[in-house]
Formats: sequence, C-alpha cells, structure tokens
Amino acid sequence: MALTPTLLLGGLERGLNALLARDPAAPGRLARLAGQRILLRLERPALTLAMAFHPQGIDLLRPDDEPETAFDAVVEADAETLGELLGGAPLERLMFQGKLAVRGRIHLLEATRDLLMDLDLDWEGELARWLGDVPAHSLAEGVRHLGRWGLRTRQELCADVAEYVFEEARLLPGRHQFEGLRDHLTELEVATDRLEARLARLRRRLERGGDA
Amino acid sequence: MTSSDKRTTHFGYQDVPVEEKAARVADVFHSVAARYDVMNDLMSFGIHRLWKRLTIERAGVRPGHSVLDIAGGTGDLTAKFSRLVGPRGRVVLADINESMLRVGRDKLLDRGVGGNVEYVQANAETLPFPDNTFDCITIAFGLRNVTDKDAALRSMARVLKPGGRLLVLEFSKPGNPLLNRAYDDYSFHLLPRMGQLVAGDADSYRYLAESIRMHPDQETLKGMMQAAGLERVEYTNLTGGIVALHRGIKL
Repeated sequence: MALTPTLLLGGLERGLNALLARDPAAPGRLARLAGQRILLRLERPALTLAMAFHPQGIDLLRPDDEPETAFDAVVEADAETLGELLGGAPLERLMFQGKLAVRGRIHLLEATRDLLMDLDLDWEGELARWLGDVPAHSLAEGVRHLGRWGLRTRQELCADVAEYVFEEARLLPGRHQFEGLRDHLTELEVATDRLEARLARLRRRLERGGDA
Repeated sequence: MTSSDKRTTHFGYQDVPVEEKAARVADVFHSVAARYDVMNDLMSFGIHRLWKRLTIERAGVRPGHSVLDIAGGTGDLTAKFSRLVGPRGRVVLADINESMLRVGRDKLLDRGVGGNVEYVQANAETLPFPDNTFDCITIAFGLRNVTDKDAALRSMARVLKPGGRLLVLEFSKPGNPLLNRAYDDYSFHLLPRMGQLVAGDADSYRYLAESIRMHPDQETLKGMMQAAGLERVEYTNLTGGIVALHRGIKL
C-alpha cells in the first residue's frame, strides 16, 4: 500500500520534531542547519530518505527522482553503519573503512548527529507542567527507582540462572571443565595423528617387503 | 432562447446553467469554510493528511522553487511548501473563494507561516500569471468544483515552467465493487448527517458526495491532462482508489 511508508515517516517526523521542541539547545542548532537538505541512502534495507531542516525541526520525505545535485550532502550507508554512526563512532573511521560514503558538505552530517544525539530532554520539567512540581518529582523518583530496581533484578536473574545451569542442574559444563575437556580432546587428536602416521609407515614397510 | 442559454453543466446530480455553477460552488464553500478542517478530519478519519503528505513527496519541491497551490483552501499544502522552498522561493495560495482564502490566510499567519507566501483570489480556468512561472502546481480536492476542467488544466499547463510538475489530488473511482458499495453508503447516508451535526449544513455535504460521483475517473482525467499538453502523466490510487493522485510534467 502506497500510504504505509508515508504514515510511518509522518509519525517519525512528528515524534522527532516533538522531541526537538523540548530540547533547549535545538533551536540554535536548527537555525544553523535551516534550509539545508541531506539525502540518506540506506543499502539494506533499501531506503532513500530526504531530510530538510527548517527552524522548527526536520521534514522527512521520500524523494521522488530528484537529482543528487539538489541536495547539500548525500550519505550512503547500511543500517549497521548508521547504527554505529548514531552510537558515536568517529565519522572519519567509518569513511576510511569504506562503510560510509558522504558527498557534499560532510560537516552537515556531523551537525545532524549532534542535533539528534545530544537531545537533552527535561522530561521531569514537562511532567511538572501537567501534574505540578511535587507529583512530577515523586513520579520521576518512582521511575528512576523502578529503573534501578530493573537493572539490579536483571543482573541477579542472570547470576541465578547461570548458577542453576552450571552448578545445580549441571546442564552445561563450567568454564574450567570445558577447558579440561578441550585439552583432553587436543591430546586425543595428537595421539590419533601419531597412530595414523605409524600405521602409514607400517603399511609402506609391508608393501616394500611384498615387492622384495 | 439562444444557444448559450442551453449550455448546462453538472452541479452534483443537478444540471445548472454554466454561468451559475461557480456561484453555487462558492455558496457551498462560504457555508463550510469555518468548519472545513474539522470536517475534513472527521470525514476522512484523518487520512486526508496522508494523501496530502504523499502529494508533497511527489511534488519534488526544493529550496528556491515557485509553487502554486490552487484551491489551496485552508492552506495545508502551502504551510509545508513554504518551509520546503525556503526564503529564496515563493508559494502562491490561490482560491476562487474569498471565505476559504481568508480562513487559510488567518490560519497560516497564526502558525507563523509568512514571508514567502502570497495570496491570490483567482479562477483556475484563467490564472492571472504569466506563462512559464511555476516549478510546481498542486490542486488538491479542487478540480472537481471547476466549471470547465479542460480550460483549467490548459491554464495550469500554461503557467507551469518547462520541466515543472502538475499534481492533481482528487476523489476518484474505487476499483473494488465491495469497497465502492460501502463508500456509496457512507457518502450518501452518513456524510450529510455528519455535515448537519458538525457544520450545520447537510446540503453542502450532499453536494460533495454527488460531485465526487460526477468527477471523471482515473483514466479519463489522465487523458484530459494529456490533452492539456502535459507529458508522462501517471496516477497513483490511494486508499483503494477513493482518491487518486495524478502527476504530469510539462516538457
């Protein structure tokens, strides 16, 4: 259906612009970028996306047979590289590795990454506007507490599962046992090779004896 | 009676004298202008925003372009075009109806859209612009109400620059008979009631449903655009063909 990508892109654009509107540093950065356009071409999944900056945010569009020269920068990458880029990997390293191709104004890509990655949302302040200061703070404290509890629970769960699997149920060998087994297997392999060589020598001797 | 007295055109399912259609359409839009946006969202369940978004994507507008948004109504397309063409470009919002143009201008000014937007009250059949003026022309849900559609398409082709694009977003004919039936029930029974409830005007919305049925289907409109001198005319059916987006290029 022709409208599904349009719907997804529209939703993404709305979400992104709503986030940018909450970031106190975004207006200055957007003002510097306003009027510029980046063409983003992903190889896998095949996707072409035009990003047009304006003082209030970003317009995301699927470009329609527009020439590359109509854009200020053209970026070609695969989804994995894009993830690395957004994760903070240096632009130069990705370009030298041949994973990322940028034509046009390279600094635009850096500015875009800064804009999206340095989003500093004052979500507690936003909650306070709706709920009032004290309830918003209690709620935020609750969410932070829940986050810490979640992290601790996850670590404990991992440790418990590991202990059960390795020590109690003995479903999997521990690291030491595993390494011991590997050493024995290597020894066996070497002994088998030696035996094979010895048999081959005996066979050669028998053949020579038969000929004589 | 002279022969010109006998020339009639359709106004919904009625036949009216050619000279009267524009005035009657104007009455419809004077009546609905204030509630136009709310009704659009209600009637289309909000999908009209996606149809318009796709139109903008297909328009290929970039900084510095001149865009004409005919029958731009309350300025949905103009607002986005104004951002895309930037301070070096310009967008002209044209509508034949004064009420709609006023609502559109107020809305855009309230949203801080200005500087590169101009407002023109104009008839699409005789556009008051020099030849080869615009890089892109859009007419969204407006062609249906024009008395002489062929003249309007010719006039648009005239003011379009060579290489420029004309995009026509308009109601069309659904391909699936089941969908067609549900759509008929919806537009002839539910739509006038919604119009009565929200905008206090059932007749205008009855006209809307009737005028959609009288509008040429996808292939006919494509032929009309080609006859007006546009090339590489193609169309995309949206939401099962309830709406179609036609695009032609002036070469």
